[in-house]
Amino acid sequence: MIAETGLTDSMLMRMAVEELLTREADLLDRWALDDWLALYTDDAHYYIPPSDVDGDTANPDTSLFYIMDDHKRMQERVIRLKSKGAHSEWPRSKVRHLVTNVIVERDAGIIRARASFMVSRAKDVTHDIFVGHYLYELVEQAGQLKISKKTCVLDMEALRPHARISIIL
Amino acid sequence: MGEETGIINDPGKARFLVPRRAFTDQAVFEKEYAAIFNRCWLYLGHASELPEPGSFLTRTVSRRPILFTRDKNGEYNALFNACPHRGAMVCRERHGKSRAFMCMYHGWTFGSAGNLMSLPGQAGYAEGFKQDPQKQMVHVPRLDRRGDFFFISFNKDVEPLDEYLAEAGDYLDLVSEHSATGMAVIGGTQEYSIRGNWKLLTENSFDGYHAACTHSTYLEYLKNANGALGATPLEGTGIDLGNGHAVIEYTAPWGRPVASWVPLWGEEGKVEIDKIYREVEARLGKQRAERLARMNRNMVIFPNLVLNDIMAITIRTFFPTAPDFMEVNAWTLAPREESEWLRKYRLFNFTEFLGPGGFATPDDVEAIEKCQRGYAANAGNMYNDISKGMVRAEAPSFDDEAQMRSFWMEWDRRLAMAEA
Repeated sequence: MIAETGLTDSMLMRMAVEELLTREADLLDRWALDDWLALYTDDAHYYIPPSDVDGDTANPDTSLFYIMDDHKRMQERVIRLKSKGAHSEWPRSKVRHLVTNVIVERDAGIIRARASFMVSRAKDVTHDIFVGHYLYELVEQAGQLKISKKTCVLDMEALRPHARISIIL
Repeated sequence: MGEETGIINDPGKARFLVPRRAFTDQAVFEKEYAAIFNRCWLYLGHASELPEPGSFLTRTVSRRPILFTRDKNGEYNALFNACPHRGAMVCRERHGKSRAFMCMYHGWTFGSAGNLMSLPGQAGYAEGFKQDPQKQMVHVPRLDRRGDFFFISFNKDVEPLDEYLAEAGDYLDLVSEHSATGMAVIGGTQEYSIRGNWKLLTENSFDGYHAACTHSTYLEYLKNANGALGATPLEGTGIDLGNGHAVIEYTAPWGRPVASWVPLWGEEGKVEIDKIYREVEARLGKQRAERLARMNRNMVIFPNLVLNDIMAITIRTFFPTAPDFMEVNAWTLAPREESEWLRKYRLFNFTEFLGPGGFATPDDVEAIEKCQRGYAANAGNMYNDISKGMVRAEAPSFDDEAQMRSFWMEWDRRLAMAEA
């Protein structure tokens, strides 16, 4: 097969990861938040460090982050965002995730991926762009690729003029 | 009161009204810089952020670039971060350790106390040029500390810091007393902005009335998170601390790392929390320990320092760049000796409620921004109602608005004083 298509194992893996990340972006853009959560393992974490620490290495247990969700809090975040009482996202903002420059490495049982993102959020009279890179950890579960950790490192000096990260990056 | 500002304060009729032009008027905004930000004491930073001689950080305070250093003797210095030669910002890093700061434009090099150490091409200048007081970096007129909290003032004639802080000083001490070995700012700063007038955030920071409506999803989350809520009711008082400072002090059902346990933290956590409580009690006595550990405090030190000692501690300052825009910085404090386990819970607690990614702050931001938009509805002749609790004979409740009235009366006084 590989000989016929010219695709190497690492290319196939990158395609599988890219497909997953593209699907995740699409679900978030369509506010399909339950389906988004289903892409994650039951012990997953979702992190956003602030921009005055080294986001690639910062530890959420010793540094103040913007977001340090365990899976339970990810679930609660979804419940909250689906509620009209999440005023900052009601009416919902228009969201668009652009994900690119995907690099994938296998590290024992874990697949590590890095990717660049630009996320646009438009609501009411405001339009903000978040720029940064994702650090993913992925695992294979029952033949499916799942996300066990996602860190969104903002390549920004501050969240300005953005007032909030009320969407999921 | 308030012929200029237009505030209507009529205790007899339980009326307290703030005209919305206080939030929208460019002239008011400019007066605020002249009469408030350039006159008052302003928060600069915490001693733990400059741990040793040579430590430095840069910060914007009241729109001005400030270089905060510890010199080789360990003394603290607050310098205007501008080169005496041509005015370029001298230090362009956010923080670090350095014995000298070289301006990148012409290479003038300064010590941590702002003294000009060397300059290229000295032969082109008169003898003694390097020692000329005009050629040194300029110190901010006043720098002082209350415990480990450092404040600056651009007004050299400002009253002594302790006098300015009035009763708020003891509340700052109370925050320091969380620890036997000292409190420290934990790495990581939340830096964001809000498209609204800065005084909206002042009000919001100690508004005990809005939670049920604005933060309904946060309260639902607490109920869902098994054991995150204790049985303690939300109740307490609003207290005027003098000079425009005020606090709401109240009990609440959420857990506090010092030292109110909730079931979520487990039996092992209970042992640790009990131990912390006993240490605080032995150090401070029963009454103060009880207050420190069990009560929550949302305090505003006039004009723009918020110290919230709630499910975690946040230090927050904010400055307007326009009537409808502010820049916010927030840090968190924790006891130096805190265990890894509790530190983790503290940070988990903080991010649950507070900050741009929390379950509550984004909705505060929404409220502030929608107030600012709403103000455009009229020609500035409408008023905000801040009268809640004025009819009460007893002490104001934590969900009244007495604490906001303290702020507004001082705001009004300072603006009127500038007029005179």
